[in-house]
Formats: sequence, structure tokens, C-alpha cells
Amino acid sequence: MPYDAERLHEVGDDPLAAIDYCYEQGWTDGLPVVPPSVERVERMLGYEGRPPETPIAVHPATGYECTVHAAAVNAVMAGCRPEYFPVLVAAFEAMNEPGFNFHGSTASTGGSAPLLIVSGPFADDIGMNADVNLFGPGNRANATIGRAVRLILMNVFRMIPGISDKSTQGHPGKFSFCIAERSRGNPWPLLCEEQGYPEGVSSVTVFAGGGFCNIENHGGNTPEQVLGAFADAMANYGCITLGQSAVVLAPEHMRVLAGAGWSRKQAQDYLFAQAWRPVEGMKAVGKHRDIEYGKQHGEEGRRPPAGDGQFHRGLGPDDILILMGGGDAGGHSSFIPSWSRGRGSLMQSKPIGVCIDCE
Amino acid sequence: MLLCDPTVPGPDRDLSRAAALGGLEGRTIGLLENGKLNAVSLLRETAAVFEARHGCTVAPLYSKSNASAPAPEETLKAAARKVDFLITGLGD
Repeated sequence: MPYDAERLHEVGDDPLAAIDYCYEQGWTDGLPVVPPSVERVERMLGYEGRPPETPIAVHPATGYECTVHAAAVNAVMAGCRPEYFPVLVAAFEAMNEPGFNFHGSTASTGGSAPLLIVSGPFADDIGMNADVNLFGPGNRANATIGRAVRLILMNVFRMIPGISDKSTQGHPGKFSFCIAERSRGNPWPLLCEEQGYPEGVSSVTVFAGGGFCNIENHGGNTPEQVLGAFADAMANYGCITLGQSAVVLAPEHMRVLAGAGWSRKQAQDYLFAQAWRPVEGMKAVGKHRDIEYGKQHGEEGRRPPAGDGQFHRGLGPDDILILMGGGDAGGHSSFIPSWSRGRGSLMQSKPIGVCIDCE
Repeated sequence: MLLCDPTVPGPDRDLSRAAALGGLEGRTIGLLENGKLNAVSLLRETAAVFEARHGCTVAPLYSKSNASAPAPEETLKAAARKVDFLITGLGD
């Protein structure tokens, strides 16, 4: 059942008129879309082996269902090439995990956007950018895969800005928020390897991320100096919560860590131990809650690195996702905080283009 | 040019409302808090109005761990067995 005749729209052959038609239907994110012609959608579907009616994600509150076909239509509109489609499908399968809670993270005043991190050879295969201007414009795959996520949230799941998406301010990543992990010159195992996928299998990790925070440090020459700046940013009073973190190390900063022999685990441990604010300070800004402090320090939740009187970011070192990305030059890394105040959404990952342990 | 529709039909669900209570006098109130700051305070203040005006009683508090996710079905079923109506809200 690839097409339902009642759900096809006859428009003229003028592409600009077709774009205007899409605007009139309320199908866009504010930017022009590629008209989703039947032929283009068919080509997109050619990169997914399952029938078009196969559901890949379901909205828990409304029951709206994103099928392979619906995802393909929106991927065309976003400007995706067909070979990008497996990333989009895997991303929604990850977002469909209950722990991600894509309804909450999309509807909330917190204003997050799903950050997609593609790890492994698939990123190079489809020409994704993991290098200079990582989060910026200029790469079709990064830009359009991220954009397709938003179009699906809006068109399929009806997460409409101002109606069911109540972000107080949102952030620019709500147009597109998709990057690749840099493998070139990376001294650490790639995320897809650490996530336990078989050799050669790429992954996409989804993270409900708040706004991007640049971390500048051109003077630090030791891991402690470099990561000290990260920890301070991660624990600032505006950002600190029990939520998870994504940290994207610029190659220049990575060279300092790797040069000193630091592993990803060491960096996670150090960041968790250093990213804290005093309880008195939390009280001074009105953000202290006994129940949250207890989750870090109570008997069940006691984490050795969580110091007495210290409110840390997250529940432990594993809550900090660290990867390398960006251009060779510049001591500019980034920290992306989790959505809103806590653990309402937890990052998830899925393999791209393959099925592991599927029924 | 034929365009595919990027939206999907709504699910076929029965979303009819529960029958309204015949009255509030002497009813049992359930409170479902969602973990947000001030949620419990808001709910208890609201319930106090019903207690004072209608002689309602308040059942033990129900909680859910994730404010933005639906309450677990077992929580709602347990509440439905013990209360006549349920109050919930944000509290931000």
C-alpha cells in the first residue's frame, strides 16, 4: 500500500507553484520544501527494504504513526538524497524507544531538538560533514537529514509550533541538528564501536539537546586545563541539572587529551567529578531540590565521584557522551545540554541500515 | 505533478469523555503529581478547596516519575478503583 489515492495532490507542473502549494497546506518549516512528487518518493523508498506501510515510530499520546512511506515523503521535502534515508529511519527507530520520550522533548517549553550523531563509515559513504563548520551550513546530508526529522515531527506527529510544540524560545537546531562523528585522526574508538555494534556497522545516536554552547580554550595545555573549561560550562547555574550531556571535542582539544594518554572514560570521569556547583549556590539561585540531590547522593544512587555538598551535572560519568568533531584549527569545542531540567529524555542509538536481533 | 501527502490519517480511537459526576458532595479526590517543582503544593491547595466546599476526602497521593510521559496504566487503574475524580497539573 505505497499510496492512498485520496492522499495524493494534483498540482501543476510549475515547481514554484508546487512549492507554494506546500506552503499553503502548512507542510513546511518556514523554508521552501522540495515538492514530494510520487517519483521522488519512490526513489527514496528504494533505500528501505521493508514495505512502505511499516511503522517506524508511534506517538504515544495521540497514536499518530510514522510509516516508512510517511518518512520518505518528508525526507524528499527536506531535500534528502535517497541514500540518506537509512539514517532517518534509524533515527526515528531510536526516538521511538520509550526512554527518549519524543513527545515530551518536542512539546515542552524547554525547547530542545533531537541532535543526531552519525558514527561509523556510513557517514563518509553518504558524504556527511564531520569536519570544519560541523554544526554549520554547507553540507547537504547534515542539513537535510536533520531537517527531515523536524518535518516528520511537524507533519506526521503534528508537533506544531505554538500549538503542540510549546517551546518558550526553541533554538536554531530545531531547523536541523545533525552531525557526524569525525573518524579521521580520531585516537579514540568511534561511538558505534563503544556502543557494541558489529564491526563495520554504523550508528545514529539521538539526544534531546538544548542550545549549543561554544567552549573556547586556546591556552590550556593539559587535559585538566582543557576539561576544566568544559566542566565549568556544563555546571553553569543556567544549565546544571540531572540531565545527560553531549560534548563534542574539537581536534585541537582532543590532541591535548590524547597526547596525555587520556581515554574517553577518563575524560567522562573527570568531567563528572568537576562539573558541579555547591548546594548553597544552588539554593541561592532557587534551583536546589532535596529529591534531586538525593538521587546523586542517596544510598541507592550514591556515585563515588559525587562529593558531599556538591550538586553535579547528571547522575554519573556515563551520562556524558564525548566524541570528536570539527576542523583541525581552533580551540573551539561544544557542550550541548539535555532538554530542560532532568531525565525526561535519555539518549538512544540504533544501527543504520541493518537489523540486529530483529524478529 | 502528483504530490504525496506528508501527513498521516489520525488513528481510529475512541476518545469519548467519561460520564460527568452527579455531584461533588462527599466524593473522594485523587491527586496525581508529576514531579515538577510545586506540583504537590498546587494539588493539595486545590484539593483543600474541594474539601472545604464539598466535604470531599483526599486519597493518598499518586506520583509519576516523568512529567511529560503518560502515567503508567497500573497507576491510573489503581486510582480509578479508589477515587471518584482525579486532579493533576503542572505546578511550574
